[in-house]
Formats: sequence, structure tokens, C-alpha cells
Amino acid sequence: MRIVLLFMLALVAVPSVLAEAPEGYPFLPFDQAMAQASAEHKPLFVYFGRYGCAYCDKTNREAFSDSAVRAAYTEHYVLAYVDAESGKRLRLPTGERITERELGTRYDAFVTPVFTFMNTDGEALLRLVGVQRVVDLTEADRKVQQIVSKPGKP
Amino acid sequence: MKIILVTFGGLLLWVLSLQVQAQPWQFAAPLQVTGGQSGVFHHLESSGRRNIAVSGSTVAVAWEDNRDGTPRIYLARKAQTANAFSKAIQISGSGEAFEPSLLALDQQRFVLAWEEDAKIQMRVVTSTELGPVVVLDGNEGMQASLTTQAKQVLLVYARHAERFNQIWLQALDLDGLRLLPGAQCAVDGEPLKDEQLYPTAISLGDTLLVAWEDRRPGHTIIMAAKSQAAQICRFSSPQRISEGHTPSQTTYGKGHGVARVAFARYGAKHALAVWADKRDYREGYDIYAADYQPDNKSLFGVNQKVQDSFGGVAQQWHASVAGDLTGRVAVSWDDNRDGNANVMLSWREQDEWSDDIVVPGAGGPGQQTHPSMTLDEAGNLHLAWLERATLNGTTTLRYVFGRAAKTPE
Repeated sequence: MRIVLLFMLALVAVPSVLAEAPEGYPFLPFDQAMAQASAEHKPLFVYFGRYGCAYCDKTNREAFSDSAVRAAYTEHYVLAYVDAESGKRLRLPTGERITERELGTRYDAFVTPVFTFMNTDGEALLRLVGVQRVVDLTEADRKVQQIVSKPGKP
Repeated sequence: MKIILVTFGGLLLWVLSLQVQAQPWQFAAPLQVTGGQSGVFHHLESSGRRNIAVSGSTVAVAWEDNRDGTPRIYLARKAQTANAFSKAIQISGSGEAFEPSLLALDQQRFVLAWEEDAKIQMRVVTSTELGPVVVLDGNEGMQASLTTQAKQVLLVYARHAERFNQIWLQALDLDGLRLLPGAQCAVDGEPLKDEQLYPTAISLGDTLLVAWEDRRPGHTIIMAAKSQAAQICRFSSPQRISEGHTPSQTTYGKGHGVARVAFARYGAKHALAVWADKRDYREGYDIYAADYQPDNKSLFGVNQKVQDSFGGVAQQWHASVAGDLTGRVAVSWDDNRDGNANVMLSWREQDEWSDDIVVPGAGGPGQQTHPSMTLDEAGNLHLAWLERATLNGTTTLRYVFGRAAKTPE
């Protein structure tokens, strides 16, 4: 009986988990991630997703599930997840209060997923649009690490 | 060669002038409602995008800004003939407040509903007085949207239940400046399977229509239900308005995204729902609409793409809709097809959507976004929007008046 219940619970839980931020990553709300990135002098990796997003799901299953990707992204970045249709409110460094959807609008998350590497001023360093493979995420990480390793960069 | 150029130029001017003449509204110079203060950010947001309303000869605009460091709700008004808005008056209290919905009553009176400290609050405003604030009892609430039916004020909002938000209706009677809460109910009485968010409602006299975002299929869809004036809390079973996706898109995930439905009544018995829809998942949101079908088993008809084909490669956001009793209906949104965000307008002409135009005064360098519009009894168009020079820069709230050119045939 217990196994049946657990199985049913898993069936209910899986779809929403797969449609959101990938499991096993310490994703934060955008404003918390900005604050943490400033404190730790790390760049941000911002995942603009959407509830039920097919290509987020595909990227989660086929790329973010990779242990090397997980290790690199967890170590190199402060991770933020933004639901580009959500009404959850954030506080920007300017003091402005906006919803996650409005943040997605400003950063042109016109499709999902969009992945934006940012410095702590919110400026985009690199942007990836749509489905990503392990090799894409690995290459993007290499490029961003090159950018931020230059003197004067975050 | 010179003759060809002159002839071509003349033809071009003639075509352009025909286009201008064909527009149902002649636009005046835009006015500033408020803004331009460093570090102050205005937001023209409400569920259903109801931030502007006209009562008699008075135009009112409601918004949220942080001029004193805290997000609060403000209102500014002007006589239709005036060339400036009044100084902003503070509507909300001491808490953080967001997303004011504005409703016009008679005799220059307005009602506002907003979220403050996670509760829905409301008050009446007359030309000289502010009514007492009503704080809705019950669970946390957000995303208020107002309409009126049979002399009652009707509020729909997202109310926090155990796991999810649920759409509720609250009816209120008016007693002078006071709002007296009456009947209340969940619009969809079935147990919640997922979130219900961002509702809006419209009355067609004897029929109340409510639409909202619903996440029950594992992605967001637009749903609607209706009730009759005699039994306002007896809603029909909810029906999906936004159409589904093609099977090829369902290998992963659950379906495409939609967002932020808005409603307007037009003619005696008609209503139009509009929303942002990402069914073409490669090009971002498009503006879609559906008509209420009073005599059909399906509450709403086939989905229509509102924007013209030139908007196909651009992203559309923040759809607002307005209609009048003669049958005019128009939709505005912001759109970056010209390389920066401009406020666009399309209207229905003989069952088709017109070519899109940039609203005069609401285009050009910088960002012109978040339109909210209404039509008054004479069919004149009143539109407010936000301007900002840079992405996260200081904002200005602006307004434009469009005089109705003629009554539709």
C-alpha cells in the first residue's frame, strides 16, 4: 500500500518538477541571487523558464542532468530561476519592485528557455536561447569564465 | 526621373492620408500624468489592465509608484477638456501596495481595488472625498479586477487557498462613500488541481463573464465561466478559451504559455477576451482574442490573432482591450517590431482586425509600454502608458486622447 501511495505521489510530483528549474541545483529567486552574487563576487546564471515549458523540460532532462555541468554551474555561478509568466515579486537593486514576468519582459525572455549569464550589475555577458545540449552549456561556461577572468570583470 | 519621384511621393502621401482618414480616432497631443522623478518607478499594472476609466466628463488613471520609498497606489484625474492632470492623490495606506484596478461609477465617482499587505483593499473616490478603506476578510488575496452589474460593484481576485490560489468573486453594495461586502464565492467550485491567477470580469447586463489564467493541465491556459445576475454565484462549468497546441509540440513539457487575459464589452451583448499567447513558440507572445458567444454551448469562439503580419517577428506584451455600446472594439499592446517598444493599436473593421498602427505620441526612441485604455460613452479613446528612456530607468506615465471620428456603420 505504501509503495502504491509513493508511486502515485511521484506521478503527481514529476510533471511540475520537470517543467521548472532542474533538480539538484541551488536556484534562487532573482533578487536573492543578485544579492548573493554581489557578496560572493560571482556572475549570475539566470534561467528564464515557464510552467509547462517543453524545451525547458528537454534541456533539464538532457543537459542539466549531466554531473559535470552541475558541478561547473554550481561552482562558477549564483543561479537564479525566473518563471517568465509568474506574478511573484522581486526587488531590483534600483529598489524597483517588479514581477518575474516583468523581469522576463525586460530581459527579452520572449521564448523559454532563455539562459542569461549576467554580471552583478545585471548586464548580460552571454545569452543562450532555446534547447541546450551538454556541449552547449559546457562551451558557454568556458566562454563566460574567459570573460570574467579578464582583469576588471566580475 | 524627377516627375516619377514627385508622382510616387504624391501617391505615397495620398495613401498615407487615406490611412489616417480611415482611423476611427483622431489623436490629440499626449499629456503627462505623472513622473520623471529620479529613482521613482511607476507601474501601470492590474489584472485585466484596468488602470484608466472615464466617469462623465472626468478621466482618471490609477497606478503604483515608490515616490516615498514604498510602493503605493495613486490616482490622478482631469476633466476631459483640461490639458493637465491633477496632482496625484494617495489611495492606499501604510503598507506595500500593488496593482490597482479602477472602475468608473456615475457622477465622477470611481472605485479602486488593490493588493496591500497581501490583502485586497478597496475604496470609493468622488470628486471631493475619499471613502473609507474596505479590507476584504478571509485569506490572502491579490490580482484584483473590478466591474459593475445591477448597481453592485463586483470584484474578482486570486485568493490564497491551502496549496493554490483560487479565483473568487466578491459583490459589494454602495452606500454613499461606503462599500458593503455582500455575496462571495469561488468562481470554480471544484477542488483545485493547480493555480488559478490573474482574473478579470465583465458584465453584459444580465450575464457576468469571468476569465482567468489556469494551470490545471500542467501549463497555463485561459479559462472562463459565466453566471446570471439573478444568481450571481451560480457559475457555469469553466471552459477553456485559449486553444491547444499541436501534438508535435508535446514530446516534452505540457503545452504552450499564455498570459494576462483582459475583457471588454462591445455592443449590447458582446464581449471580447484578449491575451498574450505563445502558441508560435519560436517568436514569443502574440496577441490573441476570442469573442463571447451568447447563444452557443461554447462560451467563446475560435481564437483570432489580433496583430497584423508585420508583428510576426516581434514580441507582443501587455494586451489591453476596450469597447463601447455602438460596437467599437480595439486592442492595444506594446511591441518591439520597430527596434524599440512602442504602443500599438488595432481595431475591428467589419469582422477583421485592422492593420496595426503606433499610437500617436506613444512611439519613438526609448520604451513605450504597458498600455491601459478605455472608450467613453461617445466612443472616444483614452489611453495611458509608461515611458522610460532606458531599460531600468526612471519612468513617466503618459496619456493620449483619441476623438471618435465617426460612429461605426
